[in-house]
Amino acid sequence: MIEYWTWWIGALGLFGVCLAYFLLVGRLLGVSGSWAKVVGWRENRMLQQASQEFTSNQEDMSSALMAETLAEFGEDALQELQSESPATEVAANKVDVNELESSTPWTAHLAFLLCMFIGAFVTAYLSGQFELRYELSAVHSRIFGDTWEVWLALLFGGMMVGFGTQMAGGCSSGHGLSGCARLIPASLLATIVFMVSAVFLSMLMEVMMR
Amino acid sequence: MNTTQIKSHFEYGLVGILFGAVLTRIGFADYDELHNMFILSDLRMMYSFAGAVALSMIFFIVLNKRVPKQHKLLQPGTVPGSMLFGFGWAITGACPSLVFVQLGHGALPAIFTMMGIVIGVWLYRKTHGKFFGWDTGTCGV
Repeated sequence: MIEYWTWWIGALGLFGVCLAYFLLVGRLLGVSGSWAKVVGWRENRMLQQASQEFTSNQEDMSSALMAETLAEFGEDALQELQSESPATEVAANKVDVNELESSTPWTAHLAFLLCMFIGAFVTAYLSGQFELRYELSAVHSRIFGDTWEVWLALLFGGMMVGFGTQMAGGCSSGHGLSGCARLIPASLLATIVFMVSAVFLSMLMEVMMR
Repeated sequence: MNTTQIKSHFEYGLVGILFGAVLTRIGFADYDELHNMFILSDLRMMYSFAGAVALSMIFFIVLNKRVPKQHKLLQPGTVPGSMLFGFGWAITGACPSLVFVQLGHGALPAIFTMMGIVIGVWLYRKTHGKFFGWDTGTCGV
């Protein structure tokens, strides 16, 4: 029997992680955000490049926009607009790319995810929990049956987790730990919903198993 | 790549190691423990979770102005997305962070869960613009 931390040490530990993430990274913990960045790195890079191009050619862009406006509405409309509000000079501030999109490279998020694996591996190894297994646990196999059925269930379950967390805009860390701590209504609702649905399905599986 | 970006790799990595270690010692990687939590027969991990939330809440209330505002919105996807996530969590025993912790324990089937999550995240990014298009406010982005 493996000894786990009692609940209050666990609470302190999880709080310590939230604190460390906030102090080191400067944001609030959110793992599904890291997933999104890692999986969508190519699109994000394209977006970044597009905004970079935009900011480097801002003069061109605004003159092109002006020309389009003139062609669409004519000189009179423009003069009318300017006479109405002479104070609002076209004072479009220079856009900083680093403010548009956070400048943290996606590889840092990948490092975060992989280091989670390393941390878990080292801790499990030191406490003698590490063991290569072909099933998640005895209970899990009892619920889902044969090996390939387990694999299929895991694949589809994983898809539900990935799709669901992106759709909800957060997971157990983003909504549950950080969002609830900030008392954000969306996070409180999300946490209640995913906890209740997990409890419901687990109860159902428990009943079906008997 | 500049020094700040290299530094951020180390910062993220350090927190990642810490997170993995803590989740391991609490027992979140153990499907049996998790299942016992979900069928409400052993609430130890639930209390850990709630305790961490309570402590963070106190901390963030004290530091109120210094904490960056989070972009989390109540949007049409919040409830169905959370429901999907909850069901998926009950089936796989893995949330987006726990899958790495399970792998770290040597549970090889977690590879399937990981593949599933990658497919799921990718699929959502593909379908989002087409079918949903609202602001999900994903964390950290």
